[in-house]
Amino acid sequence: MSFQEKNISVTLVSFSLILVFYTIRVFQMVTNGGLNSTDLFRLWGITIVFSIIVTIIGMILTHIVSAIVIAIQTGDEDPDIEDIKDERDEIIDLKGTKITYTITSIGSFFAMLTFVLGQSPLVMFALLVFFGLVAQVAGDITRLYIYRRGF
Amino acid sequence: MGKCLVSNNIRKLRFYNDEMTQKELADKVGVTRQTIVAIEKAKYSPSLELAFRIALVFDSPLEEIFSYDPKDDPG
Repeated sequence: MSFQEKNISVTLVSFSLILVFYTIRVFQMVTNGGLNSTDLFRLWGITIVFSIIVTIIGMILTHIVSAIVIAIQTGDEDPDIEDIKDERDEIIDLKGTKITYTITSIGSFFAMLTFVLGQSPLVMFALLVFFGLVAQVAGDITRLYIYRRGF
Repeated sequence: MGKCLVSNNIRKLRFYNDEMTQKELADKVGVTRQTIVAIEKAKYSPSLELAFRIALVFDSPLEEIFSYDPKDDPG
């Protein structure tokens, strides 16, 4: 597994956990007497801040763990990690981003549709973040799939 | 997705060039070893620029390294 694949795997696991946490919290809010703006926007903030922190920490950890694994395998004290992005990585990244944007667009449409159909604006905001996280996870799955299958 | 239509004999050329490793070739053409692996397995068609850089390393014409079989092309 290449460095890029490891990096994507870490991001995929992190965003899947954040998605599960977000979905459970929103369901809890709905079952405990409906959505209120204070709790929902606090959850928005937590989700976005966590996403950024987890992505940065994930990248650093992947780098460190990769260096340790390569150092153990090769016995080299200064291991050479292939963390550069070449043309193939860029194309795979673009294909994943395309899926992310497509799902984000469709999700935004459905979120706004709920508002048009008379739901509370909070439902629309809750769905926007939900589809944003789903889109990120789907993009990462696409990237990993293309790395494995080739194109 | 899957196998691409451009095949190559990079593996053979590496062998005839002092058993050059995938990593050495990757470093010479400025890509990762994983990309060389993908090209050798015909899982990725390199850009024209990368193909020319590989040809320069082996000092061979492009058509001696890469070949394209239009019979396999569904389009």
